[in-house]
Amino acid sequence: MKRCVPVLMLLVGLVLYASSLAYAATFTCLACHSSMKGKVRTDKGAIIEVNIDEDRFSKSVHGTLGCQTCHKTFKENPHETPGGETDKHISDLVSRISQKAAVDPVAYAACNDCHSDIYKAVLESVHGRNIVEKKQKDGALCLDCHGSPHYITHGTKPMTAAQKLAIVDTCGKCHDNEEIVKKYNFTPDVVERYKEHFHGRKLKIGHAGAPSCVDCHGAHSVKKWDDPASPVSWEKRVETCGKCHPGATKKFVTAITHKPAGPIPHYGEKALIVLTIGVFIFIASHVFLDFYAEVRDRFLRKGKEDSHE
Amino acid sequence: MSDDKTVQYQRFNLTFRIQHIILFVSFLLLAFTGWALKYPEPSLQHMPWWIKLWGGAKSAGIIHRIAGVAMVADFVWHVLYLLYYLGTGKMKIDPATTIIPMPKDVTDVVQNFLYFLGLSKEKPRFRRYTYLQKFDYWAVFWGMGIIGFSGLCLAFPTKFQYLFPNWSIDWIWELMGVLHSDEALLAIVFILLIHFYNEHLKWDKFPMSMLWITGKMTVEELKHEHPLEYEHVMKENPELLKNPERS
Repeated sequence: MKRCVPVLMLLVGLVLYASSLAYAATFTCLACHSSMKGKVRTDKGAIIEVNIDEDRFSKSVHGTLGCQTCHKTFKENPHETPGGETDKHISDLVSRISQKAAVDPVAYAACNDCHSDIYKAVLESVHGRNIVEKKQKDGALCLDCHGSPHYITHGTKPMTAAQKLAIVDTCGKCHDNEEIVKKYNFTPDVVERYKEHFHGRKLKIGHAGAPSCVDCHGAHSVKKWDDPASPVSWEKRVETCGKCHPGATKKFVTAITHKPAGPIPHYGEKALIVLTIGVFIFIASHVFLDFYAEVRDRFLRKGKEDSHE
Repeated sequence: MSDDKTVQYQRFNLTFRIQHIILFVSFLLLAFTGWALKYPEPSLQHMPWWIKLWGGAKSAGIIHRIAGVAMVADFVWHVLYLLYYLGTGKMKIDPATTIIPMPKDVTDVVQNFLYFLGLSKEKPRFRRYTYLQKFDYWAVFWGMGIIGFSGLCLAFPTKFQYLFPNWSIDWIWELMGVLHSDEALLAIVFILLIHFYNEHLKWDKFPMSMLWITGKMTVEELKHEHPLEYEHVMKENPELLKNPERS
């Protein structure tokens, strides 16, 4: 047992030394980047923010990581290049996703170091395949939904209604974007349709049990609805709806399409509005005239009313 | 004449009073808890007080369902009660006392508007129920059919799906939601204006008549508000309008 002690001490010392190096390196980077303001243009023409909010970064989920954990190399930048060659699996990944990263594709691939399962799922999803197979810039990858990796904060479990509603707006960044909707022939106005629907309304008033987009469509592994692997495909939809609606059937699950309401609810609503306004006009004028007659009889024709009784 | 101010005429029995109380308590609960879902607040940072009041959106939904069941049960009770009374002959349909709309109601509307506008000096002489009271009463039937049915469909969608044909599934739930919320709005607007004005804000009613608790109004009020009912009772059953101690 005694022999173990120096080994343990050595290990502890090494860990401390390594973390202090990481800290020192992070501290060195932040010495400039926490006080720098503004944006710079890279050689490739991308415009990047150079400021890192040290306070927000340290409170984020990644606040304990050193800068070089993700920013492993700098190929085209004013800094002295740290490190040497990157791993093969990272450079492979970089080549697949490089069109997504304007600045540091290696750092973008570095998410894979810790989140490899999720990264794999995303690249196989409809979003990822749009990047990898179709070489499009606007397939969603990590940062498009999660925002800057420097400021990702802990969520709560289970999520609050506000967090769930934020997801809807996140999806809406593309699915409610006119250009992208047109380019990919998406169903138009899905976000608005969702928010008007029962599920969306429930979230809006703070009912955390209502589903957001990802509860039905899946998140990282999202597939197109007609892909049998999608949770909203005809093959899987009964099971998906059944999570909240036990007894759901094939017939029941055709209800939600996010398509514009057909003519019957549309004109039905119009008819009801006409009915409501009609009744309103009748009763409002009734009440108003009744009040007018009451004032007239009581104050202007005092006593006259009783005379005929 | 002095008896008119003191003698109380029984207009509604205990059963009707209880049915009315269940109806308005459940109505108010439903209106308050349902309002939030019709007009959801876009800002989530602060939950509006009218949702917080019920302990959040989830418990507001539970209260809404309980009140809805209470209201439907109350309605069923009322209808069965009426059917029983009509079936056993304890209650008869008489033009002077019935709640069923009659041609006279149309002429009453015209007469009342003429009176309001000063074009006639005569107020319409009402029977047991004025045209507004009849409207108010039958509005509940309309609302119960439309709002009650759509509400049940929305609360138990997996059960009620079997009622609807396949070709309607695309839009039926949308229609149910529209029916439920728009007709509820109509009911709220109607009650707020007509009922509150006529039964609470009017000069001789403010703040309210005790009729809803006691079921009684004085003979003087009866003569004033329902002169034809007064005449009808005088003819059929005049003891009801006299002071039992003096006769």
